[in-house]
Amino acid sequence: MILIHRAMERCSPDAPVDVMLTPQFYTMKRESLPIKYAYQAKRIAPSLFDGLLDEDGKYDFFVFKEGEAWVFIAYDPDEITTFLESKGISAQMVSKLFFAQQSAHCFKTPVRLGEREALSLVDGTVVVVPVTALPETVYGSVDEHCHPSKGVRLESGAASWLTRKQAMLLTAILLLFALIWALEGRRYGTNNIVLQEKLDALYEANPALQSAYARESVASKYRKIDQLERRKRELVGKIAGMIFKGVTVTHFSLEGRKYTVHFLVSDARVAKRLEGLIKRAGMQKSLRSTSTEIIVEGSL
Amino acid sequence: MNWKRYRNELIVLAALLVAAGAFAYKLSRHTSMAKSNQQMAKELAVLQETVSLKKIWADKHLTQKVDKLRMLVPAAKVTWRRQGKHLSATFSDLKSSEVNMVITKLLNIAVQVEKLKVTKEGDHYRVEVKCKW
Repeated sequence: MILIHRAMERCSPDAPVDVMLTPQFYTMKRESLPIKYAYQAKRIAPSLFDGLLDEDGKYDFFVFKEGEAWVFIAYDPDEITTFLESKGISAQMVSKLFFAQQSAHCFKTPVRLGEREALSLVDGTVVVVPVTALPETVYGSVDEHCHPSKGVRLESGAASWLTRKQAMLLTAILLLFALIWALEGRRYGTNNIVLQEKLDALYEANPALQSAYARESVASKYRKIDQLERRKRELVGKIAGMIFKGVTVTHFSLEGRKYTVHFLVSDARVAKRLEGLIKRAGMQKSLRSTSTEIIVEGSL
Repeated sequence: MNWKRYRNELIVLAALLVAAGAFAYKLSRHTSMAKSNQQMAKELAVLQETVSLKKIWADKHLTQKVDKLRMLVPAAKVTWRRQGKHLSATFSDLKSSEVNMVITKLLNIAVQVEKLKVTKEGDHYRVEVKCKW
């Protein structure tokens, strides 16, 4: 963990590092407020710093609890990023950002920052003081024991196309859609219950038809019978429709698919009308017909 | 390449892949369900058709129904020969109204008509019927 202060030397880490900021890079306020959760505290943080911060700066806020009080920290990520880059630490090389106030206990013994300044604890607040103001001649250092558990991630700015907030929002939307589609897909798994019930009932009543082969064979057999027998009945119906005053059927035969009908007509007018009916019924007059007897022959 | 630089994009990409997977899953389930329902509907249609055709043309009461034809006209006018599910019958000396009745009744029964012959003999008709069921 690197302690970041204005007088620090330039350094170029070759692996991501954690950094701790001195109060030179943040503004702090400590308040005792009846707030239970950090997110609630974070929500009111901007209002606490009204008039305290540079109006040109773009500030983010960090909140943590210190004893019974809440500590509010305002920091400018752009300013920090610019400074870090000027010292050879690119934003991408920063794993997490911590604030010196988070490890106040580490500064009971002042920690020297360059030749003229030091970090010291005054009334529970970590502050930068001139070395000349300190009576001590022994200085401490920041070690692993001073590593706070909670920190902030520094947005890598230009390198990243999306901010963390945007990424989280997009991720949440996409995961919501994923959940909806997955549930919908799961719902599609169940077959049409009504169809299934009908099928089950029919199979139960006709167990012999459970085999597709048997079903097709039986259906084909009865389909042929049905088709032929319906045609025979339609033929008789058509012939019955051709009988009117002046027309007598003297012979009708239907054997297999062949049929013959002999009509006896009283006069030419009746014959003409009958011929029209025969034609309309899709039948043909035989050449054996005479002026008084019309013969119709055909096949179904 | 420093993947940490693109952490946000990678998170979104992962979520996008999960969403794409879920969408593909939904589509595949939808397609398979539609296919299965289509097959079931087809199967049901064939089954219903088969059952109804069988009910018509393989009716167990057909023999009784056919036997009733004999009673339509006086016994003297009928020559009746039934062997199992085959009938050969001749109706003679029928009036035209009787011919109509016999033929209408016959054709209303689901039998397979092998032969139906109507001949006018003087003022009367002769009807020959051969059928099976």
